[in-house]
Order: sequence, then structure tokens, then C-alpha cells
Amino acid sequence: MTAITTPPSRTHRTPGATRKEIDMKRFIIKAAAIAAMFAAVPTTTLRAEGLEPKDVADMLHAVMDSDRTIYTKMIVARLVNEHKLIKASEFFEDEKAAPLPAQMFRFGAEMVADKTDLFSYSLLSLWPVNKQNAPRTDVEKEGLQFVVDHPGENYYGEEELGGTKYFTAVYADTAISPACSSCHNGHKDSPKTDFKVGDVMGGVVIRIPVE
Amino acid sequence: MSLSSNALLWITWIGLTLVAGAALAGVMYVGGKRDLLLIGGTTSAHHQIELACETCHTSGLFADARKIEKDMNKACLSCHEDELKVSNDSHPVKKFRDPRNADRREQLDALMCVTCHLEHRPEVTNAMAVTLPNDYCLACHQDVYKERPTHVGSGFETCASAGCHNYHDNTALYEDFLVKHAGGEAIAAHPVQSLAATRGRDPLRIALADADPVATLTAFLRDVADEDKKDTAGVDAVARLARVLDAGDAIAPAAFMSEEAIANWAGSAHAVAGVNCAGCHAPEQAKEGDISAIEANWVESPGMDACQSCHKQEAATFVEGKHGMRAHPELSGPRKEPQNAMLKIAALIFHDEPLPPMPVSEALIPMKPDAAHLTVGSCNACHKPHEQDLKVAAVEACASCHDDAHTKAYFTSPHFRLWEAELAGAGEPGSGVTCADCHMPKIEARGKAFTMHNQNAYFRPNEKMIRPVCSNCHSLEFSIDALADPELVESNFNGRPSLHIPSIDWALSRTRRAE
Repeated sequence: MTAITTPPSRTHRTPGATRKEIDMKRFIIKAAAIAAMFAAVPTTTLRAEGLEPKDVADMLHAVMDSDRTIYTKMIVARLVNEHKLIKASEFFEDEKAAPLPAQMFRFGAEMVADKTDLFSYSLLSLWPVNKQNAPRTDVEKEGLQFVVDHPGENYYGEEELGGTKYFTAVYADTAISPACSSCHNGHKDSPKTDFKVGDVMGGVVIRIPVE
Repeated sequence: MSLSSNALLWITWIGLTLVAGAALAGVMYVGGKRDLLLIGGTTSAHHQIELACETCHTSGLFADARKIEKDMNKACLSCHEDELKVSNDSHPVKKFRDPRNADRREQLDALMCVTCHLEHRPEVTNAMAVTLPNDYCLACHQDVYKERPTHVGSGFETCASAGCHNYHDNTALYEDFLVKHAGGEAIAAHPVQSLAATRGRDPLRIALADADPVATLTAFLRDVADEDKKDTAGVDAVARLARVLDAGDAIAPAAFMSEEAIANWAGSAHAVAGVNCAGCHAPEQAKEGDISAIEANWVESPGMDACQSCHKQEAATFVEGKHGMRAHPELSGPRKEPQNAMLKIAALIFHDEPLPPMPVSEALIPMKPDAAHLTVGSCNACHKPHEQDLKVAAVEACASCHDDAHTKAYFTSPHFRLWEAELAGAGEPGSGVTCADCHMPKIEARGKAFTMHNQNAYFRPNEKMIRPVCSNCHSLEFSIDALADPELVESNFNGRPSLHIPSIDWALSRTRRAE
């Protein structure tokens, strides 16, 4: 079941509750544009139906999650770990190696940030290798804890950052292959060293400005 | 009726004010040298182009502050973007766009170049043209003492000034690099610069000196050939040797066919590579080989255009550095002539001249007085294309103008002694160290080496030099220590570092603890 929350600072999380009213007119246009970018669905259909920010975030996450899973399983787990044909390294340029799945994901997020401010996303964790990727906002902190405590559920909230209101969704980021858990467990900067396949290692945070 | 002296004075004052105001407005809006309008000197980075105002100030009048900052970013990147890419920028703008960094951006707006690098503020400009107080890392890295106990006691003002970190370029300073390159001898057992190891050993020339040039060159080409490709070394050798020109092949108007010029050309790399006189002096007509057309279009002193048709990367990087920046394509030229009739008249008095190559006398660093009248800005300021000895550009050309302590000390340095030995044949190619080896190193790009002609590309912060230059012959630890010792730098590395930067020790201790 999916939990939907109001901003944690105002009320505590209420599963099933609807989010506060937002400026739907502006949002529908944004949602249509975003969906068109990623799903190549005719914008007229989306305009007519309208999209909740939650649905947009879920759609975006479906694309992100699938792409990264494919990269992790078909490139890193297969070519690096199984066939040992190539290396994957955090320092992929110096090592002439493939970027790690987390880096591939981050580079995508940075490129998206260069292209649009209609949404943004990041990969964070309660146990980050790079401490800059630890949760910083209240919603990030609560969301990351929520997806650890509630397997299979997502976290939705709202927050204001730099004068802009955001719909923020947090999705569990799970160790889908031994490549994920073994690399994190062995990294000298990892605060947690006993990850197993299937464990929630962090979360994908998607933000959509709603005001 | 005569005017009182007071009235005369008023009239004179008003008249002079109007004239001065009109002159100022003319210089501002129509044309003319705008040094009067400079609100403060620029850094050495932009000093040469500070009067080409529109190069950086592109927003026009009445733009709001944010637009100006954004436009300024574009202007900065139009010259510095490649440098940031090569630096594998540790703090690229894209990292700061995420809304989760909004509070950090309020403290330090890392989206804008001008947050840290303001021009025209000499009174607050620190090293690396930074105009913020040097403890700027504090804005985001407050947790460093908790995460890195080794750093306790080091002030935030020392992060980027002690030889440990840079804001942009950490390619030779990141932790795993330090660990990987820990140890090693201060001076390698076989100190040779890998990309310079073939200098003076042009395979074509070696083959030409041999009894059987085709066989020698074929053997060389086979040696370097990619095994996966079809072996065409024999055919290639014949084709290459067929291109070699000698004195009898020179095509030039009779007036320029001096014995000396032909002899020099015939012994140069240009003749060996099949480039005839007209290839540079009348490049378009050279293709047809029609001597009358060549004569009609002969350019006595070809400029950079001719050189860059073959030496593309050298020319492109040359205009990015201090020696050629006034020829940079992004530099704003003279302002456009006004269309308005009144302003057209004003433009007769107030008009811009293109920036000429900078004379040595305008340099901000010590230069030889007898070089004051010389200019840089073209290839042949340092290279003499007709001379067989291209080594002049590696040391003598530099020392003919530069007169600072580091340059003067070079001639008593170990690097110079090695260069003398290489020139004398006692040292192997690539073992001598010239000015150019450090400041215009050979760089490998897409499998080919070229000589970096932007002397600033691997200059500041000086740790940029470690990977392409110092690491050829020195350990990382020695390189970091030496570059962090200003006195040793000034003495041109005549001696050993008098200080030690503990970054490698700290990185190793952390790795060992983790293991």
C-alpha cells in the first residue's frame, strides 16, 4: 500500500490521506511536459486527464529504477562480476572502467538538472558513502527512514526549499544484486558493512515544484 | 557690455563640463579606449583583455543582477569550459542545482562563477583570483573534523592553500589517487618524460639518413602499427618518403629564393613532411602549383592562419593562454559602427581599434627591458619556421623576455643541466627538462600527443602540473611537497622541499584503519 503524507513539520504522517491542494492548472501543464519527455504519450491526453504529482513522480521513478536496474544487472553484474570482461570503478576515468550504477544514476540526475527545473532527483542514504548524500531536509530524513521501516511502500510529502514549494517523493533503493551490497560493504567510507541483497540501502528522492 | 569674470568662469566651467561629459559619453557608447572607466584593475588572468569590455559584459544596459550573473557565467565558460572539463571539476555547477542545496546556495551561490571570482576588486583578490575569504569550504563541509579526525587543527582557510585540495581541480589530489601513488623515489630510476622521449628522433629523418630509407621506415611503421590493422607499413613508408622534399623542390617567387632560406627550409620538418614554401606563403595556390598564382598571392610573413591549418590543437590552445589570448575568437572586437547619423559623426572621433598583440612592456611580471618592444600573439614570435632547430622555442624564446627569479634560476637548476646533457647527446631524448616541458607539456588526446600551447592550462593551481609533468620523473609525495614550497619554486627546484604536506600520510592512515 502506498502512503501519502502531508509535510512532516506540520502534521504527522497519515497513510491514505490526500495531499494539500495545489495549483493544478500550472501543474497539469508541467506534468504533461514531463510525461511527454519520458513517455512520449500525446500531451493532449494527459492534459485532459490531468496528473497528480504523485503519479508523475511514480512514472519518473519507474523509468529511473528500470534503467538503473538494467545497467546494474546487464552491465555491472554481468560484464564486471560474472564474466570479468570490464572493471567498474568509482574512479572510472583514471581506471578506464565503467562508472558504478550509483554514478550512472547521479550523472543522469545532473544532466536532467542542466536541462529542466520541472523536477529534480537524487540518490540519498542513511548510510551514505559520500556524506554529502546523507539526508538534509526533514522530509528526506523522515522519507528515508520510512522506506526502510515500511518495505514495499513509498513516502510522499511536501516541503519548502529556497522559497519554492515541492512535492517530494521518496522511493526505497534496494540492493538488487550482490554487486551493490558487496561494493558498499567493502567501501572504506561506508558506515554500514552488512548489507545483503534485498536490503534497502537508501532512497531515490524526486522533487516536483508545485508552486 | 562685458561679462563679469564670475560669469566667464561659469561659462567656461559649463562648457568644459559639457565637453568632458560628451567625451565620456562618446567613449562609453560609441568607441574609444575605455581605461578611464575601469572601476579597478583586473587580475593577471584578464589584464590583457580588460579593455575588450563586451567579452565579459554581455548583458547590455539595464539587465537585472541575476541575468548579469548568468551572462557572466556564459562568458567565463566561453574561454574556461574546456579547462574545467580537463580538471574533472570537483564542484561543477550541476551539483548545486538540486533544490536540496538551496540553503547552501544562500551561503555560497556556487551556481555563479562571480560568487568566488569577482573582477576589478584587486583589494580583496586572493590567490587563484578568489575574492571570497579563504575559508569558503566551511559553507558545506562543516562536518570535516568529524569525518576526518586527521584534519582537526587545520583551519578552513588552509583547505585550498596548503597543497591539499583545490575547489576545481583535484585530479592529482583525490584520496584514492594519493593512496595509489604513495611511496616511490623522489627521483625515478629512469627519469625520462614519456611523451618527449621521441624528440630529436623523427623516424623520417632517421630513415633519410639511412642507406635503405624504405626498409628503415617500413620497420619503424611496422613497429608502431596496430596489429589488428592490415599491414600497410611498406606502402606507407614509400608514400611518406615520396612526400619528402629537398632544396631542388622549393617553389617560391625568385625574390625569396635565397640560398639561406632554401637551405633552412630543406632541413626543416616542413620539407620532410612535404610542405613546400607556398604551403605556408600561398596555401590556396600551393594546391594548384601555378607559380604565377603563387607569386600573385605570396604572403611574406604568414600568420597563425597558415600554421593552424596543420597545427590545429597547438593554435587552439595558444589563444587560450597568456601569449595568444588577444587572438581568442570569443574576444569582443571593436564596437559596431552606429547607424544613427549623429553618432556616425561622433564615431569619427570616438572609435575602437582592435586590440593589438600585447607588447612585453605591458606584462605584469618581470620582463627583460630590451624585450619591452616585442609582442607575442603569433606563432613566429617564438618559432622560426625556417630554422632547423626548433628547440629554441623550448628555452631561449622564453628567456628572451621573461626575467623573473624562477626563469633566471633555471639556468643553474638540475633541470637545465639535464637539458644541456640531452642537447650534447649525453642524455637520452626526454631526459632534459625545458621551460616548455613544464609550462607547455605534451598532452595525449585521443591517442595522439600535441604540445599544449596554453601555458596556463597546467600552471595554476600548480598541482595541475603533477600528472602531465612532474609524475614523469618524480614521486607524488615529492611533487606535492616541492610545488607547495614557494622558495623552492622560485629557485627553480634547486634543492629539496623544505616542508612536507601530510595528505598522502593521512590518506594512507585512513585506508589502513578501514582495512
